[in-house]
Amino acid sequence: MNILQEVIQVLDSVLGLKGRASVFGRDTSLLGGVPELDSMAVVSLITTLEEHFGMVIDDDDIDGSTFATVGSLSDFVSGKLAA
Amino acid sequence: MSVEAFFLPVAGEQRFCIFHPANAPTPRGLVLYVHPFAEEMNKSRRMAALQARALARTGYAVLQMDLLGCGDSSGDFGNAGWQTWVNDVVQASVWLRWRGHSNGATRDKAPLWLWGLRAGCLLCSQAATYIDEPCHFLFWQPPLSGKLMLQQFLRLKVAADMLDGRALKSMDGLRNTLKSGKPVEIAGYTLAAELAHGLGAALLSPPARTGEMLRVEWLEVSGLEPPRLNPVPVDALDAWRQAGYQLVRHVTPGPAFWQSGEMRDVPELITATTAVFTPQDGP
Repeated sequence: MNILQEVIQVLDSVLGLKGRASVFGRDTSLLGGVPELDSMAVVSLITTLEEHFGMVIDDDDIDGSTFATVGSLSDFVSGKLAA
Repeated sequence: MSVEAFFLPVAGEQRFCIFHPANAPTPRGLVLYVHPFAEEMNKSRRMAALQARALARTGYAVLQMDLLGCGDSSGDFGNAGWQTWVNDVVQASVWLRWRGHSNGATRDKAPLWLWGLRAGCLLCSQAATYIDEPCHFLFWQPPLSGKLMLQQFLRLKVAADMLDGRALKSMDGLRNTLKSGKPVEIAGYTLAAELAHGLGAALLSPPARTGEMLRVEWLEVSGLEPPRLNPVPVDALDAWRQAGYQLVRHVTPGPAFWQSGEMRDVPELITATTAVFTPQDGP
C-alpha cells in the first residue's frame, strides 16, 4: 500500500479538489496552503482517514504539525498503522 | 405537485415544515424526514429536498420538519434538547398520519417510514418507540451511536483552534464543561449540556416490533473506488435482524455531501433510494 498516494487520494475526495491533488507531493503545504481546509474539512478528513485506513485517531493528534504538509500527514498515518 | 410550507405548533412554539403531497390518488406510504445535526443539516438541505420530491413523484407523501432551534423553526439551537427533538419527530409523525388520512391513505394501506440522515437516524430509532404504529426505516449514512457524532462535533472546535493557531482547547476540557452542565460554543452553535448528553448516549437500536414485517433500508455513499460499505460490527446488524427487521444495506458512489465544503449532489443516492421505494410489489 502506497500510503502517500492513498492520503493524496483521500485529500482530493474529502476536499473536493477534483483532481487538483494529483500534483501534490510530500512538500505540498496543507495548513495555510489549501483554502478548502477549514475546520469542518479537517474533521471530515480525520473521519475519512479513520474509515479508510481502519485506525483510530486520538484527539491529541489534532495538531498543526500533523496537518502542516502532505508529507507530515502521510508520515502520521504510517506511524499510526505501524503502531 | 405543489409543495406546502407551514408552521406546526409544538408545545407553544413553531416548527417549520415542508409537506410534499403524494403524486397519487392514494399515497403508497408516508415518509418523515429527520435532518442531521447542526451544520450538516444545512449542507444536506438540497439533497433532502431532491429526494423528498423524487419520493413524492413515486407516490409517497413526504414531510420534512426543522427541529426546535434548527433551520426556520422557532427557538435557539442553544435551547434544544435531545428529548425535545425526539418529541418533535413523534409530533411530526402524528401530523403526517392525520394528513395522510385526509389524503385517502388508510392506516393499512400506507406504511409509515422514518427517514433519517446521520444523527437523524438516531432520532428516528428513538422516536419510533413513542410512535403508536409500526415504523419502517430509511437510513442514510447511519451512525451506530451518537457518541461518535458528538466526538466529531467537538472536534470541530479543536480543529478550528488549530487552524487559527490558538492554544488548543482539549476535548477533555470541552467534555468537562458539558459534564458540569454548562454549554459550549462550537462552529457558531451553542451546544447545551442536555443535548450533548442525549446525543452522546443515543444508540441506533431497533425498537420493539409488533408482528408485521418491517423494513430497514440502509444506504451509504462512499468516496472510495470501488465504493464500499463502512465496516460495521456484525452484532449491530444482527440486533436489527433478530428483532425481526428485514435489513438491507446498499452503497452508492459519491462524496460525503453532508460535510463537504460546497453543495454536492449525489444523484446515485437519489436513484438508489427511489429504486428501493418502487419495487414491483410495492414496499
